[in-house]
Amino acid sequence: MDRLQRAAVLLSLVEHLRMEQSWCGETHVQKATYFLQELAGVPLDLDFVLYKHGPFSFDLRDDLGAMLGDGQLALQPQKFPYGPKHVLGERSSLIMHLYARTIERYRGQTEFVAAKFGKMSVAELERIATALFVTQEEGAPSDVEPRAQRLHELKPHIQLEEARGAVRRIDEVISEFHAAA
Amino acid sequence: MAKHLHEIRDPIHVFVRLSSDERRVVNSSPFQRLRYIHQLALTYLVYPGATHRRFEHSLGVMEVATRIFDIVTEQSNVHARMHDLMPTSDGLRYWRRALRMAALCHDIGHLPFSHAAEDLLPDGWDHERLTIALIESPEMQEIWLTLEDGPLNPAHIVKLAVGQEKLQKFGYDATFSEWEDVLAQIITGDLFGADRIDYLLRDSYHAGVAYGRFDHYRLIDTLRILPGIGEDADRPSLGMEDGGLRSAEALQLARYFMYTQLYFHHVRRIYDRHLRDFLKEWLDGGFFPTDVEKHLQTTDNEILAAISAAARTPGSPGHDPAKRIINREHFRLLFDANRGDKDRHPAPGQAVYEAACLEFGNEQVRHAVLPGKIKQYDFSVLGHDGNIVAARERSDVLSTVPVATYDYVFVARELIAEARKWLDTNRETILQPKEEAN
Repeated sequence: MDRLQRAAVLLSLVEHLRMEQSWCGETHVQKATYFLQELAGVPLDLDFVLYKHGPFSFDLRDDLGAMLGDGQLALQPQKFPYGPKHVLGERSSLIMHLYARTIERYRGQTEFVAAKFGKMSVAELERIATALFVTQEEGAPSDVEPRAQRLHELKPHIQLEEARGAVRRIDEVISEFHAAA
Repeated sequence: MAKHLHEIRDPIHVFVRLSSDERRVVNSSPFQRLRYIHQLALTYLVYPGATHRRFEHSLGVMEVATRIFDIVTEQSNVHARMHDLMPTSDGLRYWRRALRMAALCHDIGHLPFSHAAEDLLPDGWDHERLTIALIESPEMQEIWLTLEDGPLNPAHIVKLAVGQEKLQKFGYDATFSEWEDVLAQIITGDLFGADRIDYLLRDSYHAGVAYGRFDHYRLIDTLRILPGIGEDADRPSLGMEDGGLRSAEALQLARYFMYTQLYFHHVRRIYDRHLRDFLKEWLDGGFFPTDVEKHLQTTDNEILAAISAAARTPGSPGHDPAKRIINREHFRLLFDANRGDKDRHPAPGQAVYEAACLEFGNEQVRHAVLPGKIKQYDFSVLGHDGNIVAARERSDVLSTVPVATYDYVFVARELIAEARKWLDTNRETILQPKEEAN
């Protein structure tokens, strides 16, 4: 997927997240994009590493920064201590029109991700996204407990019980995605 | 009696003072090499005064970082919610020393001509990774462990010099305490980092571009450690008192003007491309070495001598780009995407570049593009009433400073008249956006 196709998919994702009443801050967009690529299989060609608040892509941050600079996205400042919200920018419609086929190709996955994760808080997203990260680390279906332990080890501020809940939840979402596909 | 404090005159900060320990770092081979690395690559071919080097910039970053540290750790400036963050007085002394050393070393990994050809490093490398390798090199390790004022942990210097993001990117241990995170922000921070403050002031001074000036004294005096914003709301972060907001606005404007007038100057960008084209042919395998010893042996001096020789020797590697640099036969600007072009086409420079390549051949055309980048959007401001607000709530200027970008297409000097006629005739067709194919 080239840079402009990826920009179109990201704009579509932001649009759907907003429709689901997502706050659409940086963490929301980062984690939703992570789910879109790693759970729903949309080939965005982004590298994610485990960072401050779970899986994070520096390439995606650069892409979003460029889209902000190009007017495809915009930020709405919020009152302290909340971070800004992402909204579609003045040049979003051009790219969404030109790359309508790409957007349509991945519409199902985009809608699924927005519906499942759009309403989650930053803390929930961190838990669930890191649960997917450790699930992929395992590389094969595995029990909840070792993954919860691993999640807790990686993110000690996430209590073990919360980690178990996050792992169970991501297993459910993965099953729902495969059932819907 | 031996002196323990040493002074170096500096055009920006008047004096930069060094301890004997710090002078050992300045005298080390990685730091001395910075005397031969131009801060702004070949920009001096456009702005003749811009011949300053990474050496004096690194001294300046140490000076600015120290001033920020002293302000934000002054007891009366510590916010009530940040008292637990502060180390003991012994701890403060240790971290002040570590911060100064990290500031000195933050650029020692820079390649010849700084950023101009950084993409000629193998995958997974950039100058910060070389900085880490040099801080951890045997020569520097020996210094860190035998300092008169007590040893410093090189891992701390690495953290403060390059910051959490780069360590994470390269797969190093990127676990930062909140305190380490704030100290790293003092040097590398996107908004108020000492690196940014010094380079804007210094580049502006040497290039003779007045736009880069701002009231850095007021800015630094009002910096505070405050609870962060957004996803960093739970973490201490560099913010400021309300009284410094105008100086923060001035910094953002200075940054915008410096980028548009100096850093993104089209002739500067095309000289970077010619330099890169030369290095691609001249370097072994087309890449810079990542070995520490080889890195230390390569400076602007060796490369300038090689460019000069190649320009005189037809058939030698890099002869054509070398000749263009030495004889000022650089490619000329054919297209500079404006707002209207960007409204019509999502990648106007790319469209013109591809069409020009078909018309004139790939070797005769170059494309240089940098989309805007927004890393940190907002910061905390401590109001006169003791409440904290987001800077964007308090400042219309911060919300309206544009993002600097460029999207240039150049053609060989000898083709420019023909190419301009061709573009005038075909511009409408070329910039007609096309929907993607099935």
